[in-house]
Amino acid sequence: MPQGSPRFVHGKILHNSGSGIFYRMEVAIPERIDFVPGQFAMVSGWPGNDPLLPRPLAIFRSGGVRGKGTVEFVYKVVGRGTALLSGLHAGDPLALTLPLGHGFEFPGEDRSWWLVGGGVGFSSVFPAAVALEGQRADFEIFLGARTRDQLPPGEWIPGGAVPGRVHLCTDDGTAGFFGTVAAALRDRIDRRKSTGPSRVAILACGPREMLKAVTELALPLDIRVQVSLESSMACGFGVCWGCVTAIRDGEKSGYRRVCREGPVFDAREVIW
Amino acid sequence: MTQPVTPDLSARVGSVLLKNPVMSASGTFGYGLEFTPFYDISRLGAVIVKGLSLLPTPGNAPGRIVETPAGMLNAIGLQNIGVERFVNEVAPRLDDAGATYVANIYGRTIEEYEAVARRLSEVPALAAIELNASCPNVKEGGLAFGSNPEGLSGLTRRVRAATGKPLWVKLSPNVSDIGAIARAAEEAGADAVTLINTIVGMAVDPRTRRPKLSNVTGGLSGPAIKPVALRMVWEACRAVKIPVIGIGGIQDAGDALEFLLVGAAAVQVGTANFRNPNACVEIVDGIRDFFVREKIFRLDDYRGTIRLRD
Repeated sequence: MPQGSPRFVHGKILHNSGSGIFYRMEVAIPERIDFVPGQFAMVSGWPGNDPLLPRPLAIFRSGGVRGKGTVEFVYKVVGRGTALLSGLHAGDPLALTLPLGHGFEFPGEDRSWWLVGGGVGFSSVFPAAVALEGQRADFEIFLGARTRDQLPPGEWIPGGAVPGRVHLCTDDGTAGFFGTVAAALRDRIDRRKSTGPSRVAILACGPREMLKAVTELALPLDIRVQVSLESSMACGFGVCWGCVTAIRDGEKSGYRRVCREGPVFDAREVIW
Repeated sequence: MTQPVTPDLSARVGSVLLKNPVMSASGTFGYGLEFTPFYDISRLGAVIVKGLSLLPTPGNAPGRIVETPAGMLNAIGLQNIGVERFVNEVAPRLDDAGATYVANIYGRTIEEYEAVARRLSEVPALAAIELNASCPNVKEGGLAFGSNPEGLSGLTRRVRAATGKPLWVKLSPNVSDIGAIARAAEEAGADAVTLINTIVGMAVDPRTRRPKLSNVTGGLSGPAIKPVALRMVWEACRAVKIPVIGIGGIQDAGDALEFLLVGAAAVQVGTANFRNPNACVEIVDGIRDFFVREKIFRLDDYRGTIRLRD
């Protein structure tokens, strides 16, 4: 079930600036909201009916004082909707439905966390990093992209200043590990074996092929994986049934809504 | 200064009295309860719940939706929890919420339609049954029955005999003569007709050379279809004496007023709920504000008053 009760609010952009293909946007909203890392907002702010539907953006941070709230997003310009969003300025109005979906879970046992982001999927794992940093938990971040310029700016990465904490991977080898994020994880698992076992759990968001590869790598090693799935959504709060994915749930299987029962699922349940 | 008179927005659809003419459209409002975090759903004229079948239905494989200019295509495939779970789990919660609600139904066969209608007849607070004779996304979605007057007439007659509840028939726009289809529903005993359902459309990916929907085709909804819907509602209003419920691309109070103006007894709001969860109540408030500004005291004083010539 969704965590927290969603609200539809009108906000005002405080700042919206880009670095390469990525943007950071902070929005003033009428009240402070709490969210679980992995939860998202449906956002629209452009005039007219084309595009018609709001865009799902992972919530990066929320804050605010004295009944006033703010919410921050890190997003990538992917299509027309996000291109229009990136053209908005401080003071422009925005409509938001938030917080939505079922986010990452952080079971209490002591463990290390590996946070895996592919492409714009990093925006969903960053708030998990912020939360784990707040708990002084042990975590490492793996960020994958095709090329160097498709990686997020280093200064945006939570905890990035800690040596050895952030592993960048590029398919073309222009930055960090030469290869996919799954290959980098394989490398890390091999090194872990040589340094002794520790309980580790993976939180991942990115393209479906990446999530599948990470799942197939980790599950046989008894590493628990939570995956945040991406899907085309119309509503974002469970009424259109457009965003479903096939899930196995014990004996039962069927289509579950990415926006409501997800976007975060236990990787063992996902029928890839 | 005199206080402005609050207009009477109540709308009559046959024997069903609605507190206002704005309803949520089936398939765009879940089972209604999903909207309770946003507002009190008893403020709506009625909630039309997602299409119910005799047994739970898994729906189509993803991808199910594609955005199009000023609209969207969907091929959900009527995924639903089945009539039993609705009756036992959802209807009591809609009662608790004080909502007026209508069940949209479909079947693979006429017998299944009858069985769903009979089971729903046992729900005391259910205001009406809306017969989906027009879903374009499943073979069994009723379009086989609803795409010609004879088929629609046979289906309507049988379901009419199976339930004492008011029966609304939701019509397909994918026909050549909407007036003839509406008349067929009326003559077979429908208490009202609802139109339009989505228009069959298609989207393909030029690079992968594949259809974007797993079902290949889907139903187009949203503002893109409003002019077609408005024309068809106007034609249906002239073709039948039973109430016509207008639906298709309504985004705001102005759109809803256009449908009321051509004669719709009430309206349903669909895709707009995806964009703005508060769309339905904002439309209720917008109609009220318009009536206050225009000094219109009753919905009935405005409805159907289109001026075709001077």
